[in-house]
Amino acid sequence: MKKVLRLLGWVFLGLGSVLAQQERFRKSPPIPDPLLRPELPKIDFTRLQNGLLLAVVPRPDQPLISLELIILSGEGRSPRRLPGLASFTAEMLSRGTPLLSAADLEERIDAVGGDFSTMTTPDFSRFSFHFLSGSLDPALEILSAMVLHADFNEREVAALKRTKFYDLKQKQRDPEFIGRRQLLRILFKDHPYSQFFYSEDVFKNLTRKDIQGFYELHYRPNNALIVLAGNIDLAIAARRVSHFFNIWPKKDIEEPPLPDPLANAADRFCFVDLPRAKEATLVLGNLISPLAEPDYYPLGILNQVLGGTPFSRLFMNLREAKEYAYSAFSRVEFFRACGYYSVVAQVIPTASAPSIREIGRELERIGREKVSNFELEQAKSYLIGQFPIRIARLDELSRQASELLAFSAGESRWSRFLESITQVDADRIFEVAQKYVLPKPVVVIVGDKDVLLDELREFDRLEVYDLKGVLLFTLIKGVEG
Amino acid sequence: MLKNRTRSWVFVLFFAGLGSSATQDETGISFTFSRFTLKNGLEVILSPDETLPIVSVVLAYQAGSIHEQPGKTGLALLVENMMFMGSQNVGPMQHIGYINRVGGEPNASTTEDITYFTQTVPANQAALVLWLESDRMKALEIDAAKAERAKQSLIEEITERKAAEPYLESLLAFDSLLYPDFAHGHSVLGREEDIAGLEIEDIRAFYATYYVPSNAVLVVVGKIEVDKTRELVEKYFETIPPGKKPPLFLPPRPLEKRQVVQAFEDARVPSSAFHLGYRTASPYSRDYYVLTVLDYLLFHGKSARLYRKLVKREGLALFVSGGIEKRKDVAVMKLFSMNNNETMVELCQKSLLSEINKLRTYEVSPDELARAKNLFKRDFLSRLASPQERALVLAEMLFSPVGLEALPDQLPKYMRVGPGELRLAASRYLSPESSVILNVKLK
Repeated sequence: MKKVLRLLGWVFLGLGSVLAQQERFRKSPPIPDPLLRPELPKIDFTRLQNGLLLAVVPRPDQPLISLELIILSGEGRSPRRLPGLASFTAEMLSRGTPLLSAADLEERIDAVGGDFSTMTTPDFSRFSFHFLSGSLDPALEILSAMVLHADFNEREVAALKRTKFYDLKQKQRDPEFIGRRQLLRILFKDHPYSQFFYSEDVFKNLTRKDIQGFYELHYRPNNALIVLAGNIDLAIAARRVSHFFNIWPKKDIEEPPLPDPLANAADRFCFVDLPRAKEATLVLGNLISPLAEPDYYPLGILNQVLGGTPFSRLFMNLREAKEYAYSAFSRVEFFRACGYYSVVAQVIPTASAPSIREIGRELERIGREKVSNFELEQAKSYLIGQFPIRIARLDELSRQASELLAFSAGESRWSRFLESITQVDADRIFEVAQKYVLPKPVVVIVGDKDVLLDELREFDRLEVYDLKGVLLFTLIKGVEG
Repeated sequence: MLKNRTRSWVFVLFFAGLGSSATQDETGISFTFSRFTLKNGLEVILSPDETLPIVSVVLAYQAGSIHEQPGKTGLALLVENMMFMGSQNVGPMQHIGYINRVGGEPNASTTEDITYFTQTVPANQAALVLWLESDRMKALEIDAAKAERAKQSLIEEITERKAAEPYLESLLAFDSLLYPDFAHGHSVLGREEDIAGLEIEDIRAFYATYYVPSNAVLVVVGKIEVDKTRELVEKYFETIPPGKKPPLFLPPRPLEKRQVVQAFEDARVPSSAFHLGYRTASPYSRDYYVLTVLDYLLFHGKSARLYRKLVKREGLALFVSGGIEKRKDVAVMKLFSMNNNETMVELCQKSLLSEINKLRTYEVSPDELARAKNLFKRDFLSRLASPQERALVLAEMLFSPVGLEALPDQLPKYMRVGPGELRLAASRYLSPESSVILNVKLK
C-alpha cells in the first residue's frame, strides 16, 4: 500500500511539474519559426496578334477561373462635358448585343456558374468574370459577344440611367464617400481625373451616340489586357482567347499624356452638409507620387505607421488616448498620373476641431521625426505577412495581377516585394514623409451644418459646399464672407 | 516514465480518433484532412495546403443563440465579444494586436448554434494563434468592468444596426412567428433590455458551459507539417480541463400547419414591404438538398426567377431577396420584398403565389435547373478553395448531424436534384397552410 502511495506521489509530482512547465509556456507568446519566403504564383504573359495583352496566373488547385478584362481608358478619358461616360459605357456592355438581349446574357453568365461585375476608375474600366473552370469556352464566348458586339440600345440606355442615378443617390448617404469625393474634386480640380468625381445628374444628357463614340475610340485590343487566374496555363489561354477575340480590330489611339497635378500647399478647410448626420466625418489628404515611382514601398510603410491598423498612431491617439474618434485610419491609393494619401476619422461632433488639430500634429510629427525601429519593423511585418494572405482568394489574385499590368508597374513589384519592403529604412520613410506629408493637406468635414458649423468657427476660412461640389458660401472666422 | 505515458497517449489517440480522408469533386478540387480527438474531448482537424505560406485557424464552439434562456438573450454574442477583452496571459485587445502585427486579420462570428473564431496568418505564426486561442479557452478574464463595457458596446451595436437597417425590427418579429419556439425564433443580436440585465454570473456560466474543449473543434488549414502541428495543438490544448458536457439541446415542438398573416407597423421604414416564409424540411434531409437548389433557382444569379419576374418584368417590387435558412435542426425558406405601397404589396404577393403555384404544378426546364445548380456549385467550391473558408466548412460539417465524413458526398447530392423532386418539394413545403406572412406598414 505504501509503495502504491509513493508511486502515486511520484505521478502527482511529475504531473505537477508538467503543469508548471506548461504554465510557463503559456505566459508569453511563442517564438515564431523563421519566415517562409512567400513563393508567389508566377505571372506569364504574351501579346496576341491584335495587340491584346494576355496574362495567366496558374493556380492548378483551384476549381474556378477568375478573369479580369481591363480597358486602359478610365474616367480620366471622358470628355470634359461628359463626366461619367467611361463608367456608363462599361456598364452598358452587359446590356445586350444585336443577337442577345440583356436577359439572354444574364442567363448565359449564370449557366457557367458565373459572377460578372464592372468597375471604372480614373485610369481604366475593369470587367471581372469568375466562373467554373470547366466553362472556359462558353465564358469567353459570352465575354467576346459583350465586348465585340455591344449594342447600346436606347431602352437599355434609359434603364441604366435610372439605375445609376439611384445607385449614386444611395452612395451619397455615406459620409466617407461624400468626404473622399469632395477631397478628390479639390485635389484634381482642372485635371482630367476630376471627371471621375461626378454627381448623380450627370447621366441625364448622355446619348447613345456619346457612348458609341467612346466605345469606338477606346475599346480596342491594343488598349486592353486580359488576366486569367486559376487552373489554366498560358498556351491554352492564348489559344482560346485568340479564338474568341482575334476578330477584335486594333486601332491606333492617340491620347495626350495625363498632366501632373500639383499638390495642395496652403491651408484649405471645406465643409459638406449632410443633414441629420450624427457624427462628423473628417477626410484629409494630399497628392503623392504615381505607382511606378520608387517611393511606393516607403509610402506603404509610412501609411502603416500613421494609420493602417487599429494599432497605428492615429487610432491610438484619436480613439484610445483622446477619445475623440470612433475610428481613425489612413490609406494610400495610386493612379497612373499620381496617387493620394488620405486620413479618415469618424469623430464626436464637439471634438471636430480638436481632432483636426490632432491629425495635423500626427502628420507634422511623422514629417519631423524619424519613426522608431519598433514601429518600422511592426509595419514591415504587417505588410510582408498580409500580401500572401490577400492573394489567397483567386479574385484578389487576378485583380492584383491585372492592376500591376495596367499600371505597367513591372514584374519586380510582384516577385521582389519581400526584398523591396525589407530594404526600406527609417531614413527613406523620413524622406517620403517630408516630401508628401508635410505640405498642408486639404481638410474636408462632412456632417450636419446646424450642429457643426459652430464647432468650426476657429478656422480662418471655411468653404461650404453642397453634395454636387458647388461652393455655397465661405465662412471667415465663422461669419459668412 | 512520463515520456512513455505521452507516447502511449499518442498511440491511443492514433487508433481511437485519427482518421484521414480525401475529397475530390468532378471539377478537380482535392485536399486532405486528418482528424483526431484530444483526451479532453477537443476535436482537431488538420488540412495541409502547400499553395501559399499561410495558415488559417478556426476554433468553433457549439454556442449560439439557441443555447440562451428567455430573458438572457444576447449572451452568446456578448461572450464572443468578451473573448477579445483579455485572458490570463493576453491583455485586453492584445489578441487583435498580436494577429495584426504579423499581417493577419482576426475575426469572429456567432450564429444561432455555433460561434467561430477565425484568423489567417503567415505560416510561421501558427503557434502564435494556437497560444492565443488556448489562453482564452483556458482562462478568459471576466470581471464586472469588462462585462459592463461589453454590454454597453453590444447595446450600441444593436442601436446602430437598427438605425442602419430599417427593416431589422420587422425581421425579428417575423422570425419569432416563423420559427416554432423561443430557442430558434429569437435573434443572435439579443434584446437590449435582456443584455442590460445580464449578470456577471450569467456570462461566467455561459463561458464555463460552452467554451470548453469537449464542445469545440479546432481546424488548421494551410502550409503545415501535420506531425509538428499536432504536437503544437497537444502542447497548447491538451491540459485544458474538458469541462462538463453541455446540456442536451431539446428539439422544437412540432410545426403548426396553419397559415399566419400579421401586420407590423413601423415609423422608420422607407416604404411598404412584406416578409414571407415557409417552414421546410430539416437540414441535411433529402428535401433540404432539393430546397437549396430551389433557393438558387428563385433568388441567386442575374437570371433568378423571382427578381426577374417581380422586379424587372412586372415592376411590383423594388427589391426582392431570400433563400433557405437553417438554424441547427430547423430550416425555413424566407422571402423579403420591398414595394412602393400597400397596393403593390398585395399585387406582389398575388404574383408571387402564382409563381409558386407554377413550381408546384410544372417542372422547371433543364436549362433553368442547370443554371441554378452551376451557381450553387460555384459557391460550394469557392468555399473550399481558400484556406480560411475551407476551415470554416470543415468546422461546420463536423458539428452537422451528418458529420465530417459526409463532406465528399455533399456536392453530388445537390447535383443529383431533378426537376420532379423540385416540383414535389415545392408542393410539399411551399403551401399556403405552412406559410407565415408579415406585412410591414408605415406608421
